[in-house]
Amino acid sequence: MSLDKMKRREFLKVLGWGGVGTTLAGCDMPTTVTVQEGKEEVVAYLAPEEYVIPGIGVWYATTCAQCGSGCGVHGRVREGRVLKLEGNPESQVNRGKLCPAGQASLQAHYNPDRITAPRVRRNGQFEQISWEQAFALLDEKAGPSSGLAGDRFAWVSDTVSGHQAVLLKAWMDAIGSRHHYVHEAVNDAVWRAVCRDMLGDENPRLRVDKARVILSFGADFLSTWGSPIHNSTQYSEFRTAPRGVLIQAEPKMTVTGASADLWVPVRPGAEGVLALAIANVLVSKHHRDISSLPAEAQEQIRAYDLDNAARITGVTGEHIIRIAGLLNERGPSLVLAGASAAGHARGYDSVAAAMLLNIMLGNVGKTLESSAGFPFPQLAAKTGGNKELLDFAAALESKSFDVVFFSGTNPVYTAPEALKLKDKLAVVPFKVAFTQFDDETAQQADLVLPLRSALEDWGTHVPAAQPEQMQINMQQPLMEPLYPETRGFGDAILALLKLRKAPQYSAYDDYYAYLRNAFAALPAALKLGTISDQQFWTRAVQKGVIEVGAGRGNLATRVVSFTVAEPAEEGRPFTLVPSAGANLRDGRYANLPWLQEVPDPISKVVWDSWAELHPSAAAKIGVKTGDRVRIESEHGAIEAKVYIYKGMHPDAIAVPLGQGHEAYGRYAQGRGVNPLKILGLATETKTGELANHATRVQVTRIADKAGDKLVKLGGSEVQLGRKLVATVTADVFARTEGEA
Amino acid sequence: MSLENILTNWSKYRKGAEEGGFHDYEHMWGRVIDLNKCTGCSACVVACYAENNLAVVGKDRFADGHAMHWLRIERYWDEPDLGEGRVAEFQHHGASFLPMHCQQCNAATCEPVCPVAATYHTPDGLNAQVYNRCIGSRYCSNNCPYRLRYFNFFSYYESSWPAPLHMQLNPDLTVRDKGVMEKCTFCVQRIRAVKDKAKMQDRKVLDGEVQPACVQTCPTSAMTFGDILDMHSPGKGVENTQAAALWRKHQVELGKAKQVKQDPELRGYRVLEGLNTDPKVLFLERVREV
Repeated sequence: MSLDKMKRREFLKVLGWGGVGTTLAGCDMPTTVTVQEGKEEVVAYLAPEEYVIPGIGVWYATTCAQCGSGCGVHGRVREGRVLKLEGNPESQVNRGKLCPAGQASLQAHYNPDRITAPRVRRNGQFEQISWEQAFALLDEKAGPSSGLAGDRFAWVSDTVSGHQAVLLKAWMDAIGSRHHYVHEAVNDAVWRAVCRDMLGDENPRLRVDKARVILSFGADFLSTWGSPIHNSTQYSEFRTAPRGVLIQAEPKMTVTGASADLWVPVRPGAEGVLALAIANVLVSKHHRDISSLPAEAQEQIRAYDLDNAARITGVTGEHIIRIAGLLNERGPSLVLAGASAAGHARGYDSVAAAMLLNIMLGNVGKTLESSAGFPFPQLAAKTGGNKELLDFAAALESKSFDVVFFSGTNPVYTAPEALKLKDKLAVVPFKVAFTQFDDETAQQADLVLPLRSALEDWGTHVPAAQPEQMQINMQQPLMEPLYPETRGFGDAILALLKLRKAPQYSAYDDYYAYLRNAFAALPAALKLGTISDQQFWTRAVQKGVIEVGAGRGNLATRVVSFTVAEPAEEGRPFTLVPSAGANLRDGRYANLPWLQEVPDPISKVVWDSWAELHPSAAAKIGVKTGDRVRIESEHGAIEAKVYIYKGMHPDAIAVPLGQGHEAYGRYAQGRGVNPLKILGLATETKTGELANHATRVQVTRIADKAGDKLVKLGGSEVQLGRKLVATVTADVFARTEGEA
Repeated sequence: MSLENILTNWSKYRKGAEEGGFHDYEHMWGRVIDLNKCTGCSACVVACYAENNLAVVGKDRFADGHAMHWLRIERYWDEPDLGEGRVAEFQHHGASFLPMHCQQCNAATCEPVCPVAATYHTPDGLNAQVYNRCIGSRYCSNNCPYRLRYFNFFSYYESSWPAPLHMQLNPDLTVRDKGVMEKCTFCVQRIRAVKDKAKMQDRKVLDGEVQPACVQTCPTSAMTFGDILDMHSPGKGVENTQAAALWRKHQVELGKAKQVKQDPELRGYRVLEGLNTDPKVLFLERVREV
């Protein structure tokens, strides 16, 4: 079947525009290529070479691929090298702003530990081969002649969207496998499940900017949860007069918690009880009407009066009353629940209890809005969590895959030791890793295919959390590939597809050609019909975003059946909080020296792991800051130096994610410990997510290792009476900077 | 600016606003950092590493105090005393973050002690460091009350940028070698580029046109950068800038070791202002609901 004979519907599906609904509205698309004010240097990369003037930096638009948020970036290119990234103000996701990891994606690109040519494992040793040889091998192992099809194949990836997701899906369909696992160790899967069930929308749009009070149960929304930079731009408005109040309840102070007006330590796993206790005060003291709620929910609210709740949560009655008071008197509010609330056996129920507050306080439709229906379901983000990792491990046991592909994720590093993923993988005959780096997963692979960096590659990205105006984000190469023997991710999948579906895909020489065809076939509503394909394409890569007009519906509200329970305290005395920070996230940035050298915002430690404890807990164990402890769970032990401060619940010990790599290059390898390794395999009851904040541990003081030190920024933990950071009350702020 | 010029015009350069200073200035770059909005995320810090060729020194040298972070986020915990020797059990008000970079003091304590005038005040009001004049006496660093000057104890470039990381180095400024003092420049290369462009187009520099890397990336827009010369010398520099408007609004004036505010509740203050260093970084106090 040749292209011209292909039916239009199928043709559109191949190119990612399948399933276009009638919701697609025309959007405001100028008919000429406009020059962005103040940045007239923003040009499509395909401009003639004479445009490149030695000594003059030129800014090109692309999309950051460090996480799934899809922030637009401008990269400064001079003499053919990309030197600096800045946020793209055209992108409503990040409005010109960028996070530390976004800034540091330059170091993923120029990293000295990149893999520069394909490798194959022969007799236990890696040998360098060419891409032709690699694809000959892939043809043999995974092509039609392999005789393999269907569920003999699996693919494990990070969040994918845009046309890469289209091609990946096409490949999985071509081989007939249903086993695509999207694994994100740091995720908001439980929150999404609750939103889906209670609001009828998995990704409701958060209006941090419109809220006057935010109550967050461990949702680190300024740093690692949701779309952090989008949230931060809204937070800026939230803190402008009339200034909103932020309340954070969590066992370990996150970056968001550090900015809270009121930070309350909550006993790990008791977040749901705290939410219901607040609801209880809203009813008993502020006479909020809950008669429309299901009887079961009303009963639970009544069950947690102040005394009961204070005993269970460790939060004082005074604080519960104050939180309820703030929520009651200042609307609209917004209640969020993140990793530390969700990562328990009853995590879903805790998050549901938080969502119940949103419903009671009338926030649905005000600070929680319906996500606009994205008109191209094929391009939508496919995201996941740790359930997919557990499912994959289970499937490894029962299905015994013949071929497993990995891309963008490092499950051998992020999997708890108890999962025995390495052993389970060992029996898979052929494992293929598409990667930039020699990470733990690549080391287990039989074939390692080196990818281009995000700054050398083409792509389109559709983040799950979308701004007001939905957008497709364009990714274009900012410079020539550093290593000729690397391939783009889209190119690699396209090449795979050609093994199985040559008639449909042979017309596209490379991923760029595929994207050009895709954009030529874009529904006219987005192009307004008046401009040429070339103009449209040029404009898309110049601007970096394509705005997609779409209708915004209303959220439903449905109170699901849930049961909040007092967390069980069994076995070991502490609960381990494997805390994610923006610097290293789930360990994926540990090979970027800038992010290792930038101190953690809370502990200010660099280049290492550490364990956070409350002073009272430290006193019990008999340790002071800098002492070494052994943290032992049922499944293993890790050792780290302690950092003691009053931003911890006394029952919790926090160890940051990201270090403890056994591979992953010179900056990451052999540094610190990985708390994920000692997690238990208990799951969240309703979603099957890993209950990753519920592992109980024993903490004991051990002897120091010679030469080992806790290195952190700053000498003094407090200001010693100097006016370095001065604080005023919100009343003063309201008087001097106004309510308007 | 030659050494001779510095010696001849010494007293003029040391004059504050109240004494009729600033008259030779073209600009007076200053900034405002709103601690009500800063979340301590450190995006600014990484942006600074990327823009200014800052060396990564590694764990051991960091421990020795050799980190080259021109911009660092200091974090302080509250010391809430509940009276009678009781202290609060938890940090109920979160943390206090303080982004610290060279305060570009108008009465900089680092300047007069340099034996070779490698650090001096530019007509842009910047506290500049001439790398190739610096002999590494470190007097300036000793005299900086904010500890914001960084000395190259080693040739960090030998280990900081293994190929191809070195390809990222910004060609608009140098990579510093052993024996040289360095510090935040307010991204002087960006200021220069904007000034050159404005000159070529025969116009004045516009407000907001200069964006240092840290200010540009700040996710919560906590920093405002701009020319504040107009405040003291009306009609000079970039007029009516956002930054100057904030200085005025918060009733903080240059050239004073102690501010006399009509409304003492206004949030603007300068760190260690009483030392009479006359910093050009205005902080707006952190805000907390009690």
